[in-house]
Amino acid sequence: MSEQPILVVEHLETHFPIRRGLMRRAVGAVRAVDGVSFTVSKGRTLGIVGESGCGKTTVGRSILRLVEPTGGRVVFAGHDVRQTNGAALRGLRRRMQIVFQDPYGSLNPRMTVRAILEEGLVIHRLGDAAARRDRMHQALEHTGMAAAALDKYPHEFSGGQRQRIAIARALVLEPEFLVLDEPISALDVSIQAQVLNLLVDLRDRLGLTYLFISHDLSAVEHVADDVAVMYLGRIVEQAPAARLCAAPLHPYTLALFSAVPAVDPRRRRRRILLPGDVPSPANPPAGCRFHPRCPLAERVCREVDPPATRVDGHLVHCHVAARELERAGGDARVAGSRMADALASAPDIYSHSGAQSVAPAPAP
Amino acid sequence: MAHSGGFWAEAWRRYRRRPLALAAVAFVGLLILVAIFAPAIAGTKPVLCRYQGRLYAPCLGYFNRQWEPAIFTKDRFRGTYPQNLKDKDPESWAIWPLVFQDPFRAVRENEWPGRSENPARDEGRPSRQNLFGTDQAGVDVFAKMVHGTTVALLVGFVSMGIAGTIGILVGAIGGYFGGWVDSLTSRVTEIVMCIPTLVLILAIIAILEKPTIWHTMAIIGATGWTGIARLTRGEFLRLKNAEFVMAARAAGAGPLRIMLRHILPNALAPILVPITFGIASAILVESSLSFLGFGPPPPSASWGSVLNDARSNLSMWWLVFFPGVAIFLTVLAYNLIGEGLQEATDPRLREARK
Repeated sequence: MSEQPILVVEHLETHFPIRRGLMRRAVGAVRAVDGVSFTVSKGRTLGIVGESGCGKTTVGRSILRLVEPTGGRVVFAGHDVRQTNGAALRGLRRRMQIVFQDPYGSLNPRMTVRAILEEGLVIHRLGDAAARRDRMHQALEHTGMAAAALDKYPHEFSGGQRQRIAIARALVLEPEFLVLDEPISALDVSIQAQVLNLLVDLRDRLGLTYLFISHDLSAVEHVADDVAVMYLGRIVEQAPAARLCAAPLHPYTLALFSAVPAVDPRRRRRRILLPGDVPSPANPPAGCRFHPRCPLAERVCREVDPPATRVDGHLVHCHVAARELERAGGDARVAGSRMADALASAPDIYSHSGAQSVAPAPAP
Repeated sequence: MAHSGGFWAEAWRRYRRRPLALAAVAFVGLLILVAIFAPAIAGTKPVLCRYQGRLYAPCLGYFNRQWEPAIFTKDRFRGTYPQNLKDKDPESWAIWPLVFQDPFRAVRENEWPGRSENPARDEGRPSRQNLFGTDQAGVDVFAKMVHGTTVALLVGFVSMGIAGTIGILVGAIGGYFGGWVDSLTSRVTEIVMCIPTLVLILAIIAILEKPTIWHTMAIIGATGWTGIARLTRGEFLRLKNAEFVMAARAAGAGPLRIMLRHILPNALAPILVPITFGIASAILVESSLSFLGFGPPPPSASWGSVLNDARSNLSMWWLVFFPGVAIFLTVLAYNLIGEGLQEATDPRLREARK
């Protein structure tokens, strides 16, 4: 597998202005994405996890400029996406496609499947009628749909089939890179595994690169080579999937993992419950953004934004984790288990703060 | 799952289940037929005749005076065909309209063999000769109304065609682009909303040297688009952030394609409803204008102008009853169609059925 980066995101910022009053002046901004950096190598899959509202969807949409980023750089295959416009941007969009969460909302109800699939080909003037038909048949075949689907309307299909059509729409343009924005969260549990396996299979067969956005840690573990954990518009921890699962370091990641139900009852970890709600991204807390909810927060966490600590490919933004790593001589596994122990022995805030407590459980 | 067709096929299936709405469509269809075939239903000019070895269709003169063959003017027919045809060419034959009555003049004594003169003033109550009676001047009301159907239909379609075009355009641009464009179009809409249509029409008719029915339609259209624009704007605002629109942008679609191919088809159903209701109210506006005496000048007849004739003598009840019923039924039909459309295309009702 080549390690040549296909997508480089540097300090990406997407702020949405809050407008008030008669003149619609901007009185503030929702910092949906606030300084996110990562790299995706060709043929690999980066998973982004985080709870609702942490900005992971906005990251995906900003990369394709479906929402306009307000700062930072996005470089796709050597092209600065933010500096590209017009026909050149259209050309880039053919090479990077997106699959949305809700297959009921992402397919135009007034268009037949044929019209939906053909649109991109017509816009990009790809092939004549016969060539377009071949490509559509091929895309449907890739996603396990029959060619007879072409003349039907989206409402005639089930959720899983619709998502397959949405994937076929992305594939028909033969892109190199796909943003998968919670592609399985809106589906029935029985269908989720099928679609997930289809995506993995397509990646391996077509050599695709994925940005897999999800709130479902187990799905990300299954698909992704690397995982980035987002909290309130920032990446708090990033590591190869196997490393992250074996030794999570950030308290938020640890809490997330404790919320995943374990199959083996003996391995069941103590559930770490975080107090309070996610703060508003319009007014993020000073210092470490996680500190108001972190059981291990210290004075430095309230004041200083934690810099990145890097231990061979494992990246974490946390003062406490940085100290533990240093004590453990750079052994993430030792540091991680010490963090977990500290969290487990932290005073049970849940019983003190009553019903205010909210676990970072994924939305249903 | 059985193939169930597109959205409009589905909507039509649901629409068909409402007998009243279906009857309304049939009624409007009937009006359209009456308007097209008006000269063949009531008139004094032959639908088709053979005169001096050639075939003519003088009835077309009811649509446009220029279309009446020149030979009949040259031969001094003066609009009375039966006697002249026989006198000037004994070999001639003619197919006559169903009812031999003229919408613009009273039929005279012996114009048609065995037919007496139309009664005038308050004598003209409905009879076998004059189905809906005659007006003060002895002109047949049935003929007037048959020929007035064109005006009633045109007013609705033309004015709402204009209003729909302006409204959808303004609403789509404002809703899709947002920001200052939206502020501008919204303010313009609100300003136009403040203009009282009826007063504006009266003012313009007063200024114009030769006001025609087309001026009235243009003004109704130019002031009646505000509701449509607001609704279109709302639909575009709602749909521009839909995921399928975002998917189209990801595929490289430009604003025009997104607006026309993706948003408009999804917004059209709710927009059609106020357009249908607008047709009904345009017909009412035209009737009120004609009733006030500001209707289309002769020779074009309108239902409202028949009503106007009744003002001078209310004992001629047939001058109120027949045009009144026609206006009432037409407006009711459009309202029923609008309501049927609303029910048939309402997404909530769609989901409930499945």
